Amino acid sequence: MGVIPESWNNVFAVLLGMGFGFVLEGSGFSSSRKIIGTFFGYDFVVLKVFFTAAITAMIGLLYLSHIGWLDFSLLYIHPTYLASAIIGGIVMGMGFAMGGYCPGTSFCGIAIGKIDALLFVAGLFIGVLIFSEAFPLLEKLYNSGNLGHKLVSDSLGISKSLFAFLLTVVAIGMFFGATWLERKVKKVEY
Amino acid sequence: MDRRYTILALIAIILAAGLLIIPDKGKTKEMEPEKLLSAVNDQARFITTDAVTERIIGGDPTLQLIDVRPADQFNKFALPGAISIPLDSILSQTWQDVLQQPGKDKVFYSNGDVEADAAWQLCTRAGTRKVFVMKGGLNYWYNTIIKGAEPSNTASSEDLDQYSFRQAAKLYFTGGSPAEERRTYINEDAPEPAKVKVNVVKKAPAKSSGGGC
Repeated sequence: MGVIPESWNNVFAVLLGMGFGFVLEGSGFSSSRKIIGTFFGYDFVVLKVFFTAAITAMIGLLYLSHIGWLDFSLLYIHPTYLASAIIGGIVMGMGFAMGGYCPGTSFCGIAIGKIDALLFVAGLFIGVLIFSEAFPLLEKLYNSGNLGHKLVSDSLGISKSLFAFLLTVVAIGMFFGATWLERKVKKVEY
Repeated sequence: MDRRYTILALIAIILAAGLLIIPDKGKTKEMEPEKLLSAVNDQARFITTDAVTERIIGGDPTLQLIDVRPADQFNKFALPGAISIPLDSILSQTWQDVLQQPGKDKVFYSNGDVEADAAWQLCTRAGTRKVFVMKGGLNYWYNTIIKGAEPSNTASSEDLDQYSFRQAAKLYFTGGSPAEERRTYINEDAPEPAKVKVNVVKKAPAKSSGGGC
């Protein structure tokens, strides 16, 4: 707190963004076929990368909190908007499946000169424009179902560490299941 | 299956299982609202001005007076040995060392006892132990100790005894004049019964330290 002045926030944002883009490109996420592979079952790298990131961060945070290097109460927990999260998730998932990109990877695709990524981003901006213009109509939906700062572990009434353990086991089980499935499905070369 | 992936997966599971073993520190140290409510109703947190005065004069090492008034008021006048922690910074990290001292009775005081009681509630909710409030605050302390009115001759022996104690305390705080001292003795002579005499002897150390001052 207060060790690094706030004016440095943008500098860190740029550095973290560059790192994120580098890892995305390094994992092959700048190809739309990689992401679409999750839907057709020939490539589950997306699932593995994001779940690995989630469980690594989760375990790391809990350990850091235990040794007192991190104050959980200072972490920002995004509030849960149930209705808008479900509808937004469906819209985003459809965009994923049709375009083969998520917003982040589409910019990675542009960086290495993919034309489909360029089109995807054009569509993304059109979507942003439509949403902004239609916001007065959508506002009620946008703010509906606000549950506040919810944690799954609190909703289930179990401790954070037990939830972390269960999620890790489930994630790793899923990784092995996905690998098994990949071998069953016909390999696609790209 | 690649051997490396199996090993990495095992490491992740072992680390996650490690979380189950370490104690859960996720719970806040804050007092439960129900407990706080019963603590608020408990009058034991109040210490009388006389008790505080006696402990100041006796040099009680377990007493830690905390002045929760703004710093400028503290600079004008404060009880001996008090430290200034204004109410708005009572939960600041800076003062945690003072508030968390084990074995010390942290006694809050302000001009009245509203602010001191607010400080007590904040600290109690935050999990600080052994905190008290000086009942009546500085105003009551000043009106009884420094400006204490002489009870009538027909007052109960407790009242007279209390008055003589307060007069002695006044000498301690103000370094009073010999005339006042003499008057104190005269007043003590007034209630003749032997019972009172015993009590007077008990208060003697306070008085002698007052004389030395």
